[in-house]
Amino acid sequence: MKKKGKRSWFGVLALVMAAALVLSACSGNGGNSGKTTGGNDGNKGAATTTPTDNGDKGEAVGELKPHKLTLVYPGSPQNDEAVVEEALNKLLTEKINATIDLMPIDWGAWDDKINLMIAGRDEVDIYFTAQWNGHANNVSKGAFIELNDLLDQYGQGIKDSLDPAFLEGAKINGKNYGVPTNKELASAGGLVYRKDVADELGIDMSNVKGPEDLAAVYAVVKEKRPDLTPLYSNGGVFNAHYFGNYDFLGDGTIPGAILKDSTDTTVQAVEDMDRYKDYLKLAREFFTKGYINADAATTQVAPQDAWNAGIVFSTIEPMKPGKADEIANAAGMPGKMAQIIMTEKTVATSETAGSMLGISSTSKDPARAMMFINLLHTDKEINNLLNFGIEDVHYTRNGEIITPTDKSGDYAPGSAWMFGSQFLNYVWNTEAPDKWEQFKAFNEGAISSPGLGFVFNSEPVKSEVGALANVIKQFQKAVETGSVDPEQGLKDYLKALEEAGLAKVIAEKQKQFDEFLKTK
Amino acid sequence: MEATAEKTPAHSGSNPKNQLSKPAAFGIQAFFIIYSLICIIPVVLIIMVSFSNETTVVRDGYQFWPAAFSFEAYEFLFKDPTQIIRSYGISIFVTVVGTLLSLVIMALYAYPISRRDFPHAKFFTFFVFFTMLFGGGLVPWYLVYVQMLGLKDNIWALILPLMISAFFVLIIRTFFITTIPNAVLESAKIDGAGEMKIFIKIVLPLSLPVLATVALFQTLTYWNDWFLSLVFITKDANITVQYLMYKMMLNIQFLANNSNVANAIRSAGGTFRFPSETVRMAMVIVGIGPIIFAYPFFQKYFVKGLTVGAVKG
Amino acid sequence: MEIAETKAAGTELKRNSALRRKLEKSVFRKYWMFYVMMLPGIVILIVNNYIPMFGILIAFKNINYVDGILGSPWSGLRNFEYLFKTKDAWIITRNTLLYNGGFIILNLIIPLAFAMMLNEMKNRFMAKLHQTIMFLPYFLSMVVISYLVFAFMSDQNGFLNKTLLPALGMESVSWYFTKEVWPYILPLVNTWKWVGYYTVMYMAAIIGIDDEYYEAATIDGAGKWKQMTSITLPLIMPVVTILTLLQIGRIFNADFGLFFQVPRESGVLFPVTNVIDTYVYRTFLTVGDIGLSSAAGLLQSVVGFTLVFLSNWIVRRINKENALF
Repeated sequence: MKKKGKRSWFGVLALVMAAALVLSACSGNGGNSGKTTGGNDGNKGAATTTPTDNGDKGEAVGELKPHKLTLVYPGSPQNDEAVVEEALNKLLTEKINATIDLMPIDWGAWDDKINLMIAGRDEVDIYFTAQWNGHANNVSKGAFIELNDLLDQYGQGIKDSLDPAFLEGAKINGKNYGVPTNKELASAGGLVYRKDVADELGIDMSNVKGPEDLAAVYAVVKEKRPDLTPLYSNGGVFNAHYFGNYDFLGDGTIPGAILKDSTDTTVQAVEDMDRYKDYLKLAREFFTKGYINADAATTQVAPQDAWNAGIVFSTIEPMKPGKADEIANAAGMPGKMAQIIMTEKTVATSETAGSMLGISSTSKDPARAMMFINLLHTDKEINNLLNFGIEDVHYTRNGEIITPTDKSGDYAPGSAWMFGSQFLNYVWNTEAPDKWEQFKAFNEGAISSPGLGFVFNSEPVKSEVGALANVIKQFQKAVETGSVDPEQGLKDYLKALEEAGLAKVIAEKQKQFDEFLKTK
Repeated sequence: MEATAEKTPAHSGSNPKNQLSKPAAFGIQAFFIIYSLICIIPVVLIIMVSFSNETTVVRDGYQFWPAAFSFEAYEFLFKDPTQIIRSYGISIFVTVVGTLLSLVIMALYAYPISRRDFPHAKFFTFFVFFTMLFGGGLVPWYLVYVQMLGLKDNIWALILPLMISAFFVLIIRTFFITTIPNAVLESAKIDGAGEMKIFIKIVLPLSLPVLATVALFQTLTYWNDWFLSLVFITKDANITVQYLMYKMMLNIQFLANNSNVANAIRSAGGTFRFPSETVRMAMVIVGIGPIIFAYPFFQKYFVKGLTVGAVKG
Repeated sequence: MEIAETKAAGTELKRNSALRRKLEKSVFRKYWMFYVMMLPGIVILIVNNYIPMFGILIAFKNINYVDGILGSPWSGLRNFEYLFKTKDAWIITRNTLLYNGGFIILNLIIPLAFAMMLNEMKNRFMAKLHQTIMFLPYFLSMVVISYLVFAFMSDQNGFLNKTLLPALGMESVSWYFTKEVWPYILPLVNTWKWVGYYTVMYMAAIIGIDDEYYEAATIDGAGKWKQMTSITLPLIMPVVTILTLLQIGRIFNADFGLFFQVPRESGVLFPVTNVIDTYVYRTFLTVGDIGLSSAAGLLQSVVGFTLVFLSNWIVRRINKENALF
């Protein structure tokens, strides 16, 4: 009897398992076939629409089936999102017979949710992606589709307006998996400071060319305005990658870099570089003299919040034209800040692939997604609607200049740097009216890093990378803010890095980089 | 045992000779007063901060007695309470519907496996027990809900996953086995009552204590859950109060811990704004409000129920 | 002869299986209502628990999202190799075991002591009141608890750094960046949350003891201490054992909320706050390495599985009634 009971037991168990297996297999297959047919549909759609698309645009729209595009990007959800979506839908239906679903995800939850959505095969058309946000890893896992053909077919507007260096520099294994935002191409490090305070104290900032010139300035500030932190930081100071001009050849969290402004192609730990050590000494000097806030290594107050609180004289910032105005506006003291560029202007993969839109491999209609991205790069109305909201509701406009209204707060995603071409953006009345001309000028004459276009594939050393990330989190801030003695601190830091497998990661980086250089 | 839990006097109370010495009794009394304070004080601190003036918080830090009181934080929160009310609604719906459904489903499952005469009872006991031992992991689980059931951004994704707790099913089963006399069931069957009727008319009324306890536990589980929102919900329309609270500190935490990423975002042109200190704390108070008021009431039943089920479990 | 034997066995088997089928049928006819009653539960269990179990395949695959779980190439044990090559495998196992071990001991000793002391309290109203207050933390979600902890230990505004330490003339401490203190803070928080719950359990057990034992002991002249060690403790031992063994069975599963929420994702603290559950979550969601994450998850399941069986076996040996299965 007992034996019998047990047998039937296993019978039922087996049955259930089998049922579950079938179910899951079905779901797996279903998902897969859905995906592949989806892809085919897209291609078919692409094939049929291509000829007409080259001809009359209006006709092409007539042939496109309605499609709802989902756009997933980091940022806070906005109160008036639905209103803006509706306005966008009107324009998009007319142009590409599509509607849009905006899906902003808070920064804090971004990594978690995006990984879940990608792994969960959520049906999404367009994801925001960036070289520093695991782009290469996601590409290797098949999250994004290759865009070169689509770019040729539907991305003509992008190709016409975007500096070729962007697309060139965002390639992975010779292919594009994301369309870079058209914005400043060059990067440089510099200082943003309170101009009104400098004037009040009679400090001549025109003599300040590099970080070492700041000591004299800070001495005066500290003495005469004790209420201000001369140099506020919540992380590194002069050794931030944009200031030191370090090119980490892809993910900035993986050690091993070259200098963007040099031709040397030897990969080194930045911590071994002379520039790093010099800047470290300077940071330490500033820290011990009390120029840098004492809690720099641990504070959770971001620079912008410190600015808002009005307790800061200067911060180290990544430079672009109008950076000081941007910070001043956000802090509610327009016109009171100025900026000084302190380093060479350079271009590296971190800029070209620093902000992109990728088309998900789950997209049912990749062609339409590309059409939309193309519109973001070419259509002023759509671009500005997405970035600033509805005219006369969220802002008022006079030519290219826009002025905030009391409804501005209901739609202010602050994500203009993610979508299409920034050169199409309107300019706030508090910014320089010739902002975009300045940008263009800024982009010119920048030095290209030898690593431009190369992205390190960390797969072969992934266990080391994880261990190194922990070490970096543990030491980096304390060392780079000058909070600890650089001699001893750096020694401990390096030792911990080496124990975590630094040499192996650097060797791998060098190997891949050398191969890249050979094919270049 | 449930009856004894009600018994008021302690053993020592019944015999005047068997009492603690005065100093010892006083020591115990003092000890518990201090410990009770330790339990309350953190909550008090949060309440006080939420009623503080923002500038004094920035200057003096979190204080038990702020230099200046202010309702600013609550005014700010309730200036546009749509999200809070919405999230409250979601939390309440999820808690009520989730608890009721899960109670019904678990009891319905537990009854057959409690019957010794049911030949498959053992298998189905194991069927539920096995889920306590083995899990497939986050990804496939997520895939099932999102791909198979299509519940992304759906309120049912906040309810279904917590519906069956193997542990509670087993507790209910044990209760059925130990407290419902077989004779009663037998005589009901002889009277020609169907199993469903027996279950509803006889078993359920006799099992109220354990059902109440499980209901309370489930209420707490549903109300305090934030993980399911984190995983399944991307639109703010369907997030619970707990997740709303969590989300607020997420952004701050994220940037503090990822200076590389923060730098990258900043160099790409992004900026950040955070809610003020007092608003954050006010949000916490708004979030724990109902539980604080409900818990003394809950507690009574918890104590009753815990001794019924969990010990036996 | 042999043939005849097998033939006989065959018919025997046939008759048996026919019988069984008949029996099954009659069982089903008799108990069909039971299946109906269990149906919703079975469906949920299959969807929520059984189907995802096939996900353990991921641990042995090199996942490519486009090809799906089944279509991705096999990678053998490579994910496990990676896992064990890192220091993390050791760290998370150690942390999980040590913390949970500590929690079990604390959740045993402190509530037991509390229950005995509360039991000696003459003022029943006060005893009830204390019990009620002690229970409060149990009702708070981990999100709330993490805020409570933060209110005390925040670098800039925390009560400790801004008020208490300066008042004592001590330097402020960056709590969320100081590894050394967390092995104390986490057990403190955990005990704070659970002490009320376990105290109630033990209280109930103690109240259940027959008064006559104590009467007899008093007559024999046994003091309070003696009564506790030779009456109270032995008599509530079964409850203590069960509660403890239940926890031991889950020693490989950390309280995700506690380790995820309370340390606020501070990277510096990972060496002392990362447990298997948080590692599985982070490796997948923040690092995006689904294979490595699944490998760690599978390992946890397998070891946890063994431990539950082991502890249940022990419970069975002590008291069959209390065994889970």
